[in-house]
Formats: sequence, C-alpha cells, structure tokens
Amino acid sequence: MNSIFTPMQILFFAQLKDATGYAAIELPATAPLRGDQLWSVLLERFPALAVHRTSVRLACNQEYAGPKTLYCPGDEVALIPPVSGG
Amino acid sequence: MDIFIQLTNSPIAQNQWPPGSGLTGARAEFHGLVRGEENGAPISALEYEAYPAMAEREIRRLLEELAARHACFAITVIHRLGLVPVGEAAIFLRVTAKHRGPAFALLAEFMDRLKQDAPIWKRRAIPAATGVRLPSYGSLTNSARRAPLESREALAAIRSRCPPLPAVRIPLAEARDRVLREAVLAAEDAPACDRSTRDGYAVLQDDPAAEFVIRDTLHAADWKPRPLQPGEAVRVATGAALPCAHLRVVMLEHVEHAGDRLRILHRDDTPNVRHRGEELKAGEPLLCAGQRLTAGDLAALASAGCVRPAVNPRLRVHHFTTGDEIVPPEQPPGPGQIRDSNSILLHALLAAVPCDLTQQHLPEDMAAAMRILSRCQSQLATTDLILFSGGASVGDLDFTRPLLEWLGFEIVFDRLNLRPGAPLIFGTRGNRLAFGLPGNPLSHWVCFHLFVTAALAGLSGTETKPVLRGVLAAPLETAPHPRETWWPARLQLESGRCELTPLRWNSSGDVTVLTKSNALLRILPACGRLPAGAEVEFLPTEP
Repeated sequence: MNSIFTPMQILFFAQLKDATGYAAIELPATAPLRGDQLWSVLLERFPALAVHRTSVRLACNQEYAGPKTLYCPGDEVALIPPVSGG
Repeated sequence: MDIFIQLTNSPIAQNQWPPGSGLTGARAEFHGLVRGEENGAPISALEYEAYPAMAEREIRRLLEELAARHACFAITVIHRLGLVPVGEAAIFLRVTAKHRGPAFALLAEFMDRLKQDAPIWKRRAIPAATGVRLPSYGSLTNSARRAPLESREALAAIRSRCPPLPAVRIPLAEARDRVLREAVLAAEDAPACDRSTRDGYAVLQDDPAAEFVIRDTLHAADWKPRPLQPGEAVRVATGAALPCAHLRVVMLEHVEHAGDRLRILHRDDTPNVRHRGEELKAGEPLLCAGQRLTAGDLAALASAGCVRPAVNPRLRVHHFTTGDEIVPPEQPPGPGQIRDSNSILLHALLAAVPCDLTQQHLPEDMAAAMRILSRCQSQLATTDLILFSGGASVGDLDFTRPLLEWLGFEIVFDRLNLRPGAPLIFGTRGNRLAFGLPGNPLSHWVCFHLFVTAALAGLSGTETKPVLRGVLAAPLETAPHPRETWWPARLQLESGRCELTPLRWNSSGDVTVLTKSNALLRILPACGRLPAGAEVEFLPTEP
C-alpha cells in the first residue's frame, strides 16, 4: 500500500527524454489522477511534450493504461512514444 | 512453452545448439541485423533504447499468446540495446518445435507483432562518416555548416538553451557560492524591538529633565518591557532591548550618578537607538532569487532561520582533452609535443563554481575515442555540461563536432565571428550542454569567460555577468581586424575609475599573457588603434 506522500514516478523514453531533458522525474501527488489530469500537470511543466501527446501511450506500473486508468501516488508511470524495436 | 528473454548491451553470442531432445523435429533461428543504411544514408550503427522491465513483460505476453496458436517447445528472444554496429544482430530468436510449420509461423508473427507493443526504440542512426577518420572536415559532418555567429548571437543562443536546473535544498553550511532559487522574506522586523547602540541610560525621547531616578538595569539578553515615566531612567548595555518605544539613550560618558540618582551633563543629537524594523520589516525580501550566496548572505539567512535554502544543484561537468601532441605537465615533452595546460586551466576556472568535475584524455583516433565514450555513456547521460578541449577547428584530425553528433548532440553553432576563439562549438541534447573549446589556452580563456560562464549562469539560475565600461590606461596598438576581438588586459582601479592596460599577445597559443590578464577588452570589428583615455567595454575575468 503506497502512502499518499509517496510521489509518482514518471519515466520518459526516446525522443521524450530529449524533449524534457529528463529520463525520470518524481511528481508530488496526493490523490489519484485521471489520464487527462496527469497530462495537464505534465504539459504545464514540459510544454515541449504537447506535440507528442497524440502519439504517446501511457503505461502504469509496466502495463499499457486504458482510458479509465487512475494514476496513483507511488505508481511508476511511463510515457511511451511509438515503438520501433527489432 | 519455455520462454527465455534477454535485453543486453553486449553482442549476442553465437551459441552452439543444445542437443535435440528426440521430440524436437524443427529448430529455427532468426538474426535481425543492422544494415549499413537508414533512410538512404550510410550509417555505422543504430542505437536502441528500451523500458526493460515492461519490454520483457510485453514480449512474454505476446509469446504466450502466440504459443496458444503455434505449438512450439521453447523460444529464446535476445534484443540488443545501446549502440549496435552495422553487421551485428539487433535481435536474435531461436524456436524449437515438433514440426517446422509452427516454428516458422511463430517466428514470423512474433517479428511483426514485436514492433507494435514492446517499448523498445531505435533511438537514432549513427552516420557512417563519423565512424572512420576521413580526410576533410566537410565530409565528417552530417549537416551543413552554418555561417559564423556574432558573439552576442552566440550568447543569446546559449542562454535560450540553458534553463535553470531544478533546485535542491541543502544545509546552510554548504550553500556558499550556490545561487539562491527562492526569495527569502524576513519573518520578523529587524531588529525585532528598539535596541540601544550605546552603554548608557534610556530616558523618554522628549523628557527635558536633568535629574532622573534609575528604575532598572538591562543587559544585552534581557527582555523586560515596561512603560517609562518622565523623570525615570533605565541603565542599558549596548545591544539591550529597550523597555518601550519612544526612548533615547544618553551615553555613559555624558552622565554622573549616585545610588539610584542620575544627572545628565550633556545630550548629543542622536538617539543612539536601532529602531524596530529599521533595517527590514517583516515580509520584506531579505534575499532575492538568483543571488549567488556570499558569506554575508548566509549570515542573513541564518538570522532569518532559513537553514535549508533552495539553491541550484552542484553541476556535473565532464572535460575531455584531445590531441595526441599533449603530454601530462609532469612529463618532459618530446619533439612536437606540448604539456597539457588546459586541464588545470579549466579545473581552476571551475573551482569557483559548485560543480563535480571529471577529466579525461581522448586519443585522436576516432574509433578509439568512440570506444572510450561508449564505456562512459551512462556517466555522460547524467552530465549537465560536457567540455572538449581541442579538436574544434577545421584541421584534418579534428573530431569534436562529429563526436558530439555521435553522442546525440544537436550542434547549435560551430564557428564564431570572433578572435581568439572562433572555432567554438556549442551543442545540446535535451537539457545537456556541450562545448568544443578551441585548443589554445588563450582561446580557452576567452571562450570560458564569454560563453561557458553564461551557460553555467543559466543552469544555475542567475544572470550573465554584465559587460562593464572603463578607460584605456595605455593606447591599444592594433591594425583594424574584420572580426570582433576580445583583447586580454590588466584592470586596475585608479581613483574610482576602471583603467585597462591592453596586454601584448601574438597568438592564441600565448599562455604567458594569462598570468597578467584579469579582464577582456571588447574591440569592435575594424576598430584599429585606440588612444589612451578611450572609453572601452570590458569583462572582468576575476571575481
């Protein structure tokens, strides 16, 4: 059980790392956030993410998130730009 | 089905097949190799990146789904991360099954589906030209060279790419020379009450009496508020809190007393009182954001109870020296060699900046340099500022720019309309910055003070040092030059005026001029000789 004082961990990959300048940040969060709320927090801090928003999928605790996913304090949230492995 | 998944930074070993179990009728292997071209351009390597924990989960999920439709015994998936040179495998698969049909089907479908969900990225292609030493600069780079920038354009370009790093809170004792990143407001009036500035006697400000009754004695630490009546006095020590407002203090030397009786012999005009809030009122800013903290600032912060101020973090700086002609300073140089003076120069220049500096030499061989850089890539990924000394001009062996591009930096400029220091390179990758400094010590000196300090100021969250005005103490003897020149000079304060003596320098390799120089004169293009007394712009190079 995560305490409400545990920050949310946000991970950036590939071009998002260059856009934000960070591989990971901690986001102070005291309540669960919906996807759109999380995006507004992120866009306020990193306006450069705006152009990537439509192509980026969110993952929560290493699983792709759905439209109803709630992002909670202590969660590991990743911004996944279009993948290109193999 | 047995599943083995590995994400690795090392080349994929060409393992021998394990012996078949007797049930196995088919084993199939797939190597996905890096090809020598990407989007029509020749490349030397691809760089891969992954979100490893999730990538493994996604690959396993996919394999389990496929195994339900294609009956196989076991599968191995190995994916390379980091730099994968042309010709090597980025991905390796091996499947065993009873018959070849399911083995082929699983391989084919897995490769199609892998590119949909597994968080693995082809980060970038390394242009082929940077992998080998080529005869000329032009063919070494993968983007066109731009026109040289003026120094003020370069400064603006640097400042716009150096947002302040996130602030940290640290103990006051470690905060000297850090940049304060928050305004600190006075929590209470300073001083918090009226205090005496003299040893003497406090009486009402407008009490005309000559004789008084002494009611109390107050030491510096006493706090005894009480109203004072006309004709009453209180003995106070220097710094003592006065018992009420509207008092003045008569100096000890100006009274005589016997028992509790006091006679004033002489009144001076000053009240000898520090009034409440006279230095600072509660809520007024004690210190502003963006100030570099001095010893005095720390004292002020302590007095306000701010023991963990928010300041800029220590910068992480990595410095590479280049050039095969360089030998360590303790070593006698052979023919054609010179001692390395740039390492200690940068070390000393950065000593005034809160930073963690690491220094390293790179051989001039491109392939060897790339191997060294590959090994310290994880360290470089968390470095705020990378500095290269040398390798910045147009010579055949110069390689800073291609190395920076190979490290993923976007080159903002690589040439200035300036002397000394024209071949300065500046690049960024996200919030990380890199400079390629021209190898000569004087160029280092100029580029550091003009440009690197501006980047450091930006990252720290403070202003760039302004250019000041002074007058020439001696004529500047020079022919007009088409480029802006930053001329080493000796700055002296002469009856409140900044007087600057231009120093002789013959080439940007001149290290002797650095021992005398403490300022740089800005000489405009085509300016030519300036007489003594001429007004000049300059930048001090000592704090």
